Amino acid sequence: MIAQPPPKADIIARRPEIIAGLRALVPASGLISEELRLKPYETDGLPAYRQIPLAVVLPETTEQVAAVLAFCHKNGVRVVPRGAGTSLSGGALPMADSVVIGLMRMNRILDIDYGDRCATVQAGVTNIGITNAVSAEGFFYAPDPSSQLACMIGGNVGMNSGGAHCLKYGVTANNLLGLKIVTMEGDVLDIGGAHLDAAGYDWLGLMTGSEGMLAMVTEVTVRILRAPEGARAMLVAFDANETAGRAVDAIIGSGIIPVALEFMDRPAIHACEAFAHAGYPLDAEALLIIEVEGSVAEQDDLLGRIAALCEPFHPISLRVSQSAEESIAIWKGRKGAFGAVGRISPDYLCMDGTIPTGQLPFVLRRIGEMSDAYGLKVANIFHAGDGNLHPLIMFDANLAGNFEHAEAFGADILKLCVEVGGCLTGEHGVGVEKRELMRVQFTDIELDQQRRIKSAFDPDWLLNPSKVFPLVDMPVTAMPGTAMPVAA
Amino acid sequence: MQTNFSSEQLADPNTASSNQVLRTCVHCGFCTATCPTFVLLGDELDSPRGRIYLIKDMLESGRPATEEVVRHVDRCLSCLACMTTCPSGVNYMHLVDHAREYIENTYTRPWHERMLRNVLQLVLPRPALFRMAVLGARVARPVRRLIPRGSVLGDRVHAMLDLAPARLPPSSDMQSPQVHKAEGTRRGRVALLAGCAQTVLAPSINEATIRLLTRLGIEVVIARGVGCCGALTHHMGRHDPAMASARANIAGWTREIEGDGLDAILVNTSGCGTTVKDYGFMFRSEPAEWAMQAERVSALAMDISEYLATLDYVPTREAPGLRVAYHAACSLQHGQRVLTQPKALLRRAGFTVVEPLEGHLCCGSAGTYNLVQPEIAGRLRERKLANIAATKPDLIAAGNIGCITQLSGGVPVIHTVELLDWMAGGPAPVGLPAAVAVPA
Amino acid sequence: MSAALAPAHESGVVEAILAARAANEPLLIQGRGTKAGMLRPVQAARGLSTRNLTDVSLYSPQELIISAGAGITIPDLEAKLAEGGQGIIAEPPDLSALLGTEGVQTLGGVVATNLSGPRRVAWGAMRDHVMGVRAVNGAGEVIRSGGRVLKNVTGLDLCKLLTGSYGTLAVLTEVTLKVLPRAELTGSLLLPGLDAVQGVAALSAALGSPYGVSGAAWLPADAAERVPELAGRGAVAVVRIEDFARSVEYRLGRLTTDLAVFGTPVLLDDGASRAAWRAIRDAMPLRAEPGDAVWRVSVRPSNGPAAITALEATGARCFLDWGGGLVWIAGPPALHDSVMATALAGRGTWTVLRAPEPMRAAVDVIPAEAPALARITRRVKAAMDPSGILNPGRLYAGV
Ligand SMILES: Cc1cc2nc3c(=O)[nH]c(=O)nc-3n(C[C@H](O)[C@H](O)[C@H](O)COP(=O)(O)OP(=O)(O)OC[C@H]3O[C@@H](n4cnc5c(N)ncnc54)[C@H](O)[C@@H]3O)c2cc1C
Ligand code: SF4
Ligand code: SF4
Repeated sequence: MIAQPPPKADIIARRPEIIAGLRALVPASGLISEELRLKPYETDGLPAYRQIPLAVVLPETTEQVAAVLAFCHKNGVRVVPRGAGTSLSGGALPMADSVVIGLMRMNRILDIDYGDRCATVQAGVTNIGITNAVSAEGFFYAPDPSSQLACMIGGNVGMNSGGAHCLKYGVTANNLLGLKIVTMEGDVLDIGGAHLDAAGYDWLGLMTGSEGMLAMVTEVTVRILRAPEGARAMLVAFDANETAGRAVDAIIGSGIIPVALEFMDRPAIHACEAFAHAGYPLDAEALLIIEVEGSVAEQDDLLGRIAALCEPFHPISLRVSQSAEESIAIWKGRKGAFGAVGRISPDYLCMDGTIPTGQLPFVLRRIGEMSDAYGLKVANIFHAGDGNLHPLIMFDANLAGNFEHAEAFGADILKLCVEVGGCLTGEHGVGVEKRELMRVQFTDIELDQQRRIKSAFDPDWLLNPSKVFPLVDMPVTAMPGTAMPVAA
Repeated sequence: MQTNFSSEQLADPNTASSNQVLRTCVHCGFCTATCPTFVLLGDELDSPRGRIYLIKDMLESGRPATEEVVRHVDRCLSCLACMTTCPSGVNYMHLVDHAREYIENTYTRPWHERMLRNVLQLVLPRPALFRMAVLGARVARPVRRLIPRGSVLGDRVHAMLDLAPARLPPSSDMQSPQVHKAEGTRRGRVALLAGCAQTVLAPSINEATIRLLTRLGIEVVIARGVGCCGALTHHMGRHDPAMASARANIAGWTREIEGDGLDAILVNTSGCGTTVKDYGFMFRSEPAEWAMQAERVSALAMDISEYLATLDYVPTREAPGLRVAYHAACSLQHGQRVLTQPKALLRRAGFTVVEPLEGHLCCGSAGTYNLVQPEIAGRLRERKLANIAATKPDLIAAGNIGCITQLSGGVPVIHTVELLDWMAGGPAPVGLPAAVAVPA
Repeated sequence: MSAALAPAHESGVVEAILAARAANEPLLIQGRGTKAGMLRPVQAARGLSTRNLTDVSLYSPQELIISAGAGITIPDLEAKLAEGGQGIIAEPPDLSALLGTEGVQTLGGVVATNLSGPRRVAWGAMRDHVMGVRAVNGAGEVIRSGGRVLKNVTGLDLCKLLTGSYGTLAVLTEVTLKVLPRAELTGSLLLPGLDAVQGVAALSAALGSPYGVSGAAWLPADAAERVPELAGRGAVAVVRIEDFARSVEYRLGRLTTDLAVFGTPVLLDDGASRAAWRAIRDAMPLRAEPGDAVWRVSVRPSNGPAAITALEATGARCFLDWGGGLVWIAGPPALHDSVMATALAGRGTWTVLRAPEPMRAAVDVIPAEAPALARITRRVKAAMDPSGILNPGRLYAGV
């Protein structure tokens, strides 16, 4: 269990006064301060970590966000930004002395421009909400996290979220054009716009994936793309992880980049099939979902080439989706994978390391061994094209110590990912969950460098300060004001 | 998700089953986005995940329900969109039903709310009383200006008056207990739940159902002793009256099942259908005999469209060239997961079927919701009507009387089965657009 | 300025920076110096070049990843990638002809300036494909960010911060890029005789089609004349498809039909297409006289035509890339105010690529930031280069 930093006693003591101050800044229904009603805000998609915040505010405009941030800045109150609260790394976990600023009321689409292929939306619009708003014209917003139904674009920016189709279309960072942000001091700033590559430092890139530590996002301008003529998925099953892994190498090595290239191991196949009834082969050890796009002839051409590339690895079955419904079912299984595991196990921990794709067979073998050693089951979902691995560790939170056990298992997996040349998190963010593991991937010098960048935006460390960086020696006091410690 | 119940708490079957539901929830938050109240209010407390959390806390603590919890649970429409969305298979319906009962048992509502709920509970399930009440509302309509808005009570009275139809159709004897013989060779035998409020508001729905079925060779029984399904009181958390209604129905149908036999128990008000399909669960801890009978009834229960889809429905009239916006009632699409059959039947009947955007969002009717939460219900109605209007339909088809009442006022709203009956030789439904030349 | 240091190892970079810091002497950070004339001039005691850091430490074609020293030249890097049938996605331009510079650009230089070519409009900029960096900050500390995998959100994304930072925050020593297979075939479709407004409308229709257009430029007649493959047809809109051969043929066919309202297109074959796009990439269509300044302005694509019209009225020469959003401009330095006004009117941004040194020292070579953002800029600069010794003043005076 990762510890939270101690709350500031003076803030807790001034709670009534702070709440009274906030009350003046947002509409009445947008301030939540009764303990009972704060409770559902104590956690996010990682419910093992819980902390009731000081208060929750639900602003409706950028001006209200700015007023709340300026107020908190003036009063030294910590702030935790929140979107839909689907973070799997505890990114939106509150602190006892923090105000949670939830942007779910800012859910309006502000502008859609098909000619310039961009849309401007408020931060609380859901990821799928953007696609839904433009799909009638044949467009879509590309990054598609499995949580796209619920997660919000502000949260996507916070985590630089990815999805199954990012192999071709890129992650959130690659699909943004502009942001409206509010700094901790309450300054409203426009970054980028509807044009490409603003001059100056790449604030857009730095903000993306900054986990709510640098500034709050209230509006986002995204690229929208014209949907392809069609898409079709193919299921290729193998009798060993190794052969599936080699087939992936063969496909990419041949110069074909499918739009999606997803891998599931046996436990994942079984869990997803039970939920989606997509006809996944239950006798397989490893399953690849490969999707290609284009006209029917182009799809046929690519699927034919891919099938030929898989042939030398003797797939035990190979099935091309025959209809739109079948493709939907295939993706429903994959996108509902985490929840599907929730059906077979009361609780799960979703890991999110990335590994060099060539290391997959080795890493899966090691995970299998660890699974035996820990006595915890694990199902593996893998974005095979880009190396992002999601081992889902199954446990039972009602058994004392079981969560800690699962957490230790997860930490071992992530260390392994770093050892083989990968990283701790591919798309879910560090949050609170992987905070202490940052030392495995970065040197202290590197961590300090990142911390100093945070200080440049938020000198008093009030914005989501308990995330991402190891708490020990968290330089909250070491870095007062704007005076940069001179590292030498 | 982790739960904290003592073994004593878990000895209670309701708590045990709620614990099971809570354990299935992984707190992923997928369900928030499709919840109508979250979409409107933008507060996690008014989302399924927030409610689940509030309920969890309430049940775990064992303390009486508080005003805050009640406020957010009351705002739930029981539309069950969250269940359609949930990838983990969380049975929110059972959880919220339990919570409502818990609230009813441990929380004292303000007097005007109690009164309102008592009146609804008394009147709605009883057709005779309901008829009188609606007539009374008609009388009251002219004096509504005298009732101030702005107070909780005043607003609700307005909501009731707004919803009361200006005119009631004559009652129909086809709905009273009897057996309607099949035309030609009998191909099946079914019971039809005639319902309560529906028999008063729109007897034409039952009439159309019976005509259509008998014409297709199905014998239709209106079983003696069967009345309100119990959903109304069940959703208000009133255990005993709900169970009493259900028990009467189970008894009535069991007589038929054990007598001449039944192939199905048909429900043409999907709100009721969801409840009848849940009798098995409601009676799970009753004596074995009842539990078995309830289970059997639930297994036979079908929405009218589900059953019709198994028959050879063919229109006999020429296609009228009408654009029909299909409004999926929540109880049908989420509660019973009946998705395709009504649309397929309407297409087969010769209509052009269009599907409005945000089809998963509730229209705000939700049983008595539009009476007890008029503000949210009103906003949902507007939103639904706007989405429907965007499809430029001639008609709206829906399979639930609640939705029909809620959405009426502009484009005609007609029960799916009435449209199907019309195309197969029945009379033209009341309320067709004037411009439609009724084909002979 | 004393001779540039050009260490052969990262440790040499560290030493140079530590020494400069101790002496409190600014350094001019360079690769091979091909971009020294861009943006503001730097007053430095010494140069520090990464030209000798040229190792390719990793190339894994099936993982779409390559790691190379910042000093590797772009042609060398492309040659290495060609062995795996791959290439740099963002197609960085070689502007030596336009800028009148000599020598070959390096990977570090292209990344530090975030310089991307025509493919940017569809496939992203250099900054989108920098998966990992090693760099030495102004305190002489070695900083890594990102890694050698394609998906990575561990910690703050310093790869993005350093890309396009013109050597003002840290000295890049190694860069890891995501790469992609080279297309089997390139084909282009030319629509002659369209004015800027119609031309950009055609580009927008093409980019908004489902056919995966990977280049979309509009050239007025004089600019088109400078590219042999495009010459002789007046103003042209030109659209590119890169894919498997069958797809290219099919997609060009569909585009021909879909864009019929814009006229009858001319198709360019693979060779002509590659040559034309290389020219567009390197801004060959732009004629810059010896005393001229050169700018790039990036606006909302639909604002491109208004921008070009306004600028041509002042005597500037221009052409449009990126579907109308990138305006290449050449003309007398005195046009700078018009360029700024045009970029602001188009709600966009500008960059001075070439201009007489006094002008570069005097004007806003890129837009000034809002005061609150400028404050953050100064703090970030201080967070990475506490003594302000790395390329001081390159982006903004005093930063
Ligand atoms: C079942 C399941 C599947 C998932 N699948 C994927 C997947 O495929 N790919 C993927 O990338 N992720 C996935 N996720 C993780 C999660 O959905 C993403 O991280 C998502 O982007 C979080 O969005 P949110 O709106 O829920 O943000 P939250 O969880 O509320 O917040 C996420 C982080 O962003 C910050 N933040 C939120 N809003 C703002 C704002 N407006 N300004 C500044 N900071 C802000 C928060 O402080 C927090 O640090 C999944 C999660 C679940 C539960
Ligand atoms: S039943 Fe409907 S209103 Fe209630 S929580 Fe579920 S989705 Fe929301
Ligand atoms: S979708 Fe299901 S598992 Fe997820 S929070 Fe909602 S009820 Fe729980």
